[in-house]
Amino acid sequence: MGLFKSVNQLGAWGHFKILGPIIIYASVLSVFPLGSSLWFLDGERFTSGPLTGGGVMASHTFLSLLLFYLYSFHLLRPIYCSFGSNGFETTSVPKEEEFSEELLLKPLPDYKVLAHFHFTSISPPSSSNGKHHHLFPKSIAQLVKKYKIRELELSFTQGRWNYDRWGASDPLSTANGKPPGVELWALFDIPTKEEIDATWRNLTHSLSGLFCASINFLESSTSYSAPLWGFLPNNGDLRYGALPREAVCTENLTPWLKLLPCRDKAGIASLLDRPSIYRGHYHSQRLKLRSDGLNGIVIEQTLSVVLQPIDRTSWSMHQLFKKSLTGKCALAKSSKVFLEIERSLVSQNENILELVGEADMVTNDQRDHSTIYQYNVERYSEHEALDIRVNWKKLLQVSFLQAPLHASRFLMGSGNERGSIAISLQSARNSTKGLYDNSKNCFTRVVILQVVPWYVKVYYHTLRIYVDGAIRDAKDVVEKINVTPSEDKVSPGTLEMMLQFPCGMMSAALILDFDKGFLHIDEYPPDANQGFDIPSALVSFPDFISRRIYPDSISSPLLQSYKGRNIVKSYTEVLLVPLTTPDFSMPYNVITFTCTVLALYFGSMVNVLRRRVSEEERLAKSKDKRKPGLIPLLISKISNKVRGIKEDSANQSQSSEPILGPKVVFKVVLIALIAVLGHYFFNSS
Amino acid sequence: MASDPMGSQLRRILSIFFSLSIILPLSSPSPTMHNNNWAVLVCTSRFWFNYRHMANTLSLYRTVKRLGIPDERIILMLADDMACNARNNYPAQVFNNENHQLNLYGDNVEVDYRGYEVTVENFLRVLTGRHEASVPRSKHLLSDEGSHILLYMTGHGGNEFLKFQDTEELQSHDLADAVKQMKEKNRFKELLIMVDTCQAATLFSQLQSPGVVTIGSSMKGENSYSHHLDPDVGVSVVDRFTFYTLAFFERLDMYSNASLNSLFTSYDPTLLMSTAYYRTDLYERPLNMVPVTNFFGSVMKTIPTDSAYPGFLVAHASEYAAISAETETARVVLEDEADHSKTYDQSEKGLQHTLDEWLKLLEGKLGVKDPEVLVAYGLGSMVLLLTISTWLSS
Repeated sequence: MGLFKSVNQLGAWGHFKILGPIIIYASVLSVFPLGSSLWFLDGERFTSGPLTGGGVMASHTFLSLLLFYLYSFHLLRPIYCSFGSNGFETTSVPKEEEFSEELLLKPLPDYKVLAHFHFTSISPPSSSNGKHHHLFPKSIAQLVKKYKIRELELSFTQGRWNYDRWGASDPLSTANGKPPGVELWALFDIPTKEEIDATWRNLTHSLSGLFCASINFLESSTSYSAPLWGFLPNNGDLRYGALPREAVCTENLTPWLKLLPCRDKAGIASLLDRPSIYRGHYHSQRLKLRSDGLNGIVIEQTLSVVLQPIDRTSWSMHQLFKKSLTGKCALAKSSKVFLEIERSLVSQNENILELVGEADMVTNDQRDHSTIYQYNVERYSEHEALDIRVNWKKLLQVSFLQAPLHASRFLMGSGNERGSIAISLQSARNSTKGLYDNSKNCFTRVVILQVVPWYVKVYYHTLRIYVDGAIRDAKDVVEKINVTPSEDKVSPGTLEMMLQFPCGMMSAALILDFDKGFLHIDEYPPDANQGFDIPSALVSFPDFISRRIYPDSISSPLLQSYKGRNIVKSYTEVLLVPLTTPDFSMPYNVITFTCTVLALYFGSMVNVLRRRVSEEERLAKSKDKRKPGLIPLLISKISNKVRGIKEDSANQSQSSEPILGPKVVFKVVLIALIAVLGHYFFNSS
Repeated sequence: MASDPMGSQLRRILSIFFSLSIILPLSSPSPTMHNNNWAVLVCTSRFWFNYRHMANTLSLYRTVKRLGIPDERIILMLADDMACNARNNYPAQVFNNENHQLNLYGDNVEVDYRGYEVTVENFLRVLTGRHEASVPRSKHLLSDEGSHILLYMTGHGGNEFLKFQDTEELQSHDLADAVKQMKEKNRFKELLIMVDTCQAATLFSQLQSPGVVTIGSSMKGENSYSHHLDPDVGVSVVDRFTFYTLAFFERLDMYSNASLNSLFTSYDPTLLMSTAYYRTDLYERPLNMVPVTNFFGSVMKTIPTDSAYPGFLVAHASEYAAISAETETARVVLEDEADHSKTYDQSEKGLQHTLDEWLKLLEGKLGVKDPEVLVAYGLGSMVLLLTISTWLSS
């Protein structure tokens, strides 16, 4: 049967070779065949049974099915072709699974180094359910299939991206700046809200098992939200959650590396020396996946580390990672190392940086913001390891491309009852001069997304907006606003705001008041005294796109992702809110004190009510009369002992007399005598 | 002709018996076979100054991994993040010795429960296997009736309790209940509980389930102490009990035959500054016959079989039916035997019963006030005794 089918397919291919162009035309014109393809494939499978089985079915059904079979075979042709020839507009979709590894090194202005590892795995779309994977991680494919995920991003971050120094509007910093802790968002392909929520819950559990992290705490409805346009425009099928205090360490990296075909045994990932990368100032490990019918599943695994070289004036790859790159992962389609140098580091003085090592290719981007040096890893081996060395010739303070406004967030007020959250936006005009003019009609649009847990009860009506120090009416500034107030122990408060600021503005501030709530004693974490974290707010600038276009001669998924329309955005600090925390030993104290007081009260009460004092006194007196004192009693006892008189002998003799009387003794002796005689008699006889 | 069917029948019965003797041990795996190993390693303490508890747990993790238990059969629970803690001068590294020879965190550590997830509830859920439907398999203890489980716990404890994260307590009753449930659900064959806390021995006082062997670092009223302080890390890095446990295991590899007894007797109270206490009254096998790798490693006995898949032998339905019938009869025979022993018991019991009755009667008569009757009874019993003795002596 299988052979029969494959021969048929071959036949179809043969036909396609000849009739190819016509059929492509047909397939492109009509969407219909794709929809019916599965059905017809089924039909084919169904009919081939009786053909080989030998007339098990009735003859008329057999004939009709044969006709049907032939018909389906006829119709199937265009489908085979469309898959084979990329008849749809999926020119970039590879037929096989692909994996590529890249590393981008970038000197930062404060003499630190950014190392950005970028691994891409692509799985082409497949019609079958149980697919065998060669390079692509099966666990992720199953995850996508089971939870119907369209897009997902999971990031583990430690430290904070320094937007001031390390740049805020280049693609690398927009993509890599992530809030501390864990951030997870996902877009689902599921129609109803309830189903999405249920799927999200299961997804968090699965991910927590997969990545050895407590992502399952995002399960509860108090910890995630569904922003409509503040994070990413969507139709309500996006869920967003963050755990600011989640630790990030080796146990999260281990499963992440297990998704790579070579793990950390070969290729660029072998550079990941745990102590070196966790010593960094910033560490962000991400997994981003996209899935659709046309492109299949694409995973981007990135790891960005900001490292401080021991010697500030020069560093090399070997010094940074304590390992050397000796070859590529054999399964990778491409394996490249890039060195990106910002124009601002070079333009002022040509000799600031000196590069040791010969690059395979050097290119500038379209707008001349940076230069890329490309190294192909396959050229290197154990004998000649790749080691890029950079020497700083001159130390100077510069900063990279800034976002139009620098955002920071802080708390105001004192005490444990109430406070205010303030978001301050400072213009960074000096570094982005070209982007502004001072005309009246120029506006900068800013979108703010802030999710606040329910125990910080924000009063949204208290929103005050200051522009250049003067209070402004919210109507003038707020273009669009969407508030989902928090519900106690049910859902967090979400604030999405689109603001319009005049271009010439120097600074702005937004202030919101809040009350601190009370938690139930069971809801406090073990280290409640440390305070509670409010996740970072996201400030994005929809009018500013960070993109860098490099010539197409470099085929690299990393540089390809640079070309995308990435909106400039930055995350603010995490806020630490001290809440009123009870002294946890207090309940015990209270219980013991209360119980003591109650016991005392009831005891004395019962005493007063039930005790008859006069009666007791009378009883005590009568006892006293009957009984002599303790000491005389003792003396009399001792004297009796000495004289050998038994005190209660009279009583005893009275009671024991009938048992131990001489009559009884006589009887016993008599019987014993009889018995002995009998014994003797029986024995002798 | 008449003898032929008889002979064939006999042959058939014989053949069935023969096949039975081959198949029985395969088709019905005996419940006593030890066929897999699990480890549940729990560090219950939070905060940086409890670094040593995490180091203890990770040392055990490393040891059992080295001796052959794979990561998917280890449930590791760590209450705090020490390796990447801001206070740790050695990021992504944990040491249990000031010589810093060994990074316990390694490159491939997998933590199943961490941080706020380490609660008494989750711990009991892991033991008893009662999870919510969405909890992933990597967080389950998927042991069965052939499993040997090592349960190691460390933290701060007291008389009959162990603190979790400084907020909750696991009491000895909770532990005993969980173990009892595990036993009833056939979740283990043998269980070794090792606890390194103050007054660890008190945690075992309520255990009743058979197949459990326990060892604690200290008796009731004793403290367990840390071994030494690492001036570079700034805190104590290991507890004494665990330190000497590791010292014992460092000499061993997967193939060594050191017994559990040699481990239990290796603890020197003067070095430990406490008395290691072990309870074996629930455990059947003699400790000197049990290799430590039965719990700390994953060393299995290899049983050669004729066929790789014993299931294929019983593939033929008819044969299977015959066999099942045979096993049925075998069971009946067994039951008969049981009955016999029961009746034997009963007859013995009957004798005892009559004697008891006589004595009770006598006791009853003792209470009677009339001395005449009492004497008469006494004489009667004496006569009885005499006759019996004469009959016996003759």
